[in-house]
Amino acid sequence: METVIKCEHLTHYYGKRKIYEDLNFEVSKGAVIGLLGKNGTGKTTTINILMGYLKPKSGRCTIFGEDVQNIKPETRARIALLLEGHVQHSYMSIEQIERFYSAFYLKWNKKAYYDLMDKLKVAPGQKISRMSNGQRSQVALGLILAQNADLLVLDDFSLGLDPGYRRLFCEYLRDYARNEGKTVFLTSHIIQDLEKIIDECIIMDYGRILVQEKTATLIARYPGMTLEDIFIELTGKY
Amino acid sequence: MKKMIFYKEWIKTRWYMLAAAAVLISGTAYILLGLGKAAQFKGNAFLWGYVIAHDSVLIEQLRYLPFILGGLLAVVQMLPELAGKRLKLTLHIPYPQWKTILLMCLYGIAALSVLFSVQAVAVSIALNRWIAAELVCRIMKTAAVWYLAGFVSYIWSASVCLEPSWKMRTLLLVLLAGMAHLLFISPVPEAYNGFLPWLALYSAAGLCMVFHGIARFKEGVQD
Repeated sequence: METVIKCEHLTHYYGKRKIYEDLNFEVSKGAVIGLLGKNGTGKTTTINILMGYLKPKSGRCTIFGEDVQNIKPETRARIALLLEGHVQHSYMSIEQIERFYSAFYLKWNKKAYYDLMDKLKVAPGQKISRMSNGQRSQVALGLILAQNADLLVLDDFSLGLDPGYRRLFCEYLRDYARNEGKTVFLTSHIIQDLEKIIDECIIMDYGRILVQEKTATLIARYPGMTLEDIFIELTGKY
Repeated sequence: MKKMIFYKEWIKTRWYMLAAAAVLISGTAYILLGLGKAAQFKGNAFLWGYVIAHDSVLIEQLRYLPFILGGLLAVVQMLPELAGKRLKLTLHIPYPQWKTILLMCLYGIAALSVLFSVQAVAVSIALNRWIAAELVCRIMKTAAVWYLAGFVSYIWSASVCLEPSWKMRTLLLVLLAGMAHLLFISPVPEAYNGFLPWLALYSAAGLCMVFHGIARFKEGVQD
């Protein structure tokens, strides 16, 4: 199985504070992997390192075999990125942002974007900054789907969403990833959302990985417990 | 793709550009109407005499305008990139990162060039009606440094906005303030003629600081 993401001996500190040491993991093609952890365990740090926006103290990460510090533009076209809080160019309208992004992606799927926008019942000229958090999350998701990327990297996709939009987001994402065979690497602090989406999970604690295995295997090892229960069992209560 | 980068910058700055054009047009029109009145009631000779006797360039009130407009354009254009760390999205588009940033800066430089050129042409045409071409040339050479100050202000303010750490931002602001002081220290007409190429170089050096800020952003530098 082709390896899409590979992180080896990753160590990072913020000042003197250790985030993690000697972190190793791999993501295979077609896998939907969830990086789970309490706040401050380094989930966003890992995404930042993976996307080349943070240089780790030591260690190396590759995506599609390329060092993340120097990813070629063509390879970036294969990676769809969702920033924490569904940040987008919110000074643009629904129409303008689609026009902007479509110029950069050869496999751009306009229909996927507008199908999702139709569900929002908003005018194409509607400015993103004037939308609710939930609507903005759908715009961000629509842009990701339209990119038709091979790898989706989603940082805390559930942040700021009410249960309805979280569910909509999860269902759309799950169906898309399964039907299209996409590789997904995501983080979230709401574990219950992930149970239905991820095939494999990496549970992080302060400074280390506690568990990395198939979600089904993990759940089978703890009969009668949900992924959220297992997470609390492993990481301890807040 | 280049067009789309300009398109994004245009969407961000279009209202500001309209406002900047309105301020520049109204400010210039106000000064020129005043000069026109003086020429009409007191004669062109009065303006000539005033320029020579007072070592005046007649349009002194406009000297800080390009500097202010340049700095504000950088803020309006670059701050949205920092809000929510949107710069990550901009750098993630499948286009060479250095080209993306360069095109963003070129957009600002081109936008300011249009504004400043229109003003310079309007002022030159108006002044040519009242005073000798040699005097107009002297005034426009003096004004050249003000326009250059506009570009310096734009590029260095952009580097301040894109720099991820406050310590470095403060240092860049000090450099920008020092430069502003230097650019406006002498009110004597044509005082900067000999320095203009150096000032242009300094202005271009600001671009290196923009890229330096981007490199630091990519390393994850923060306070």
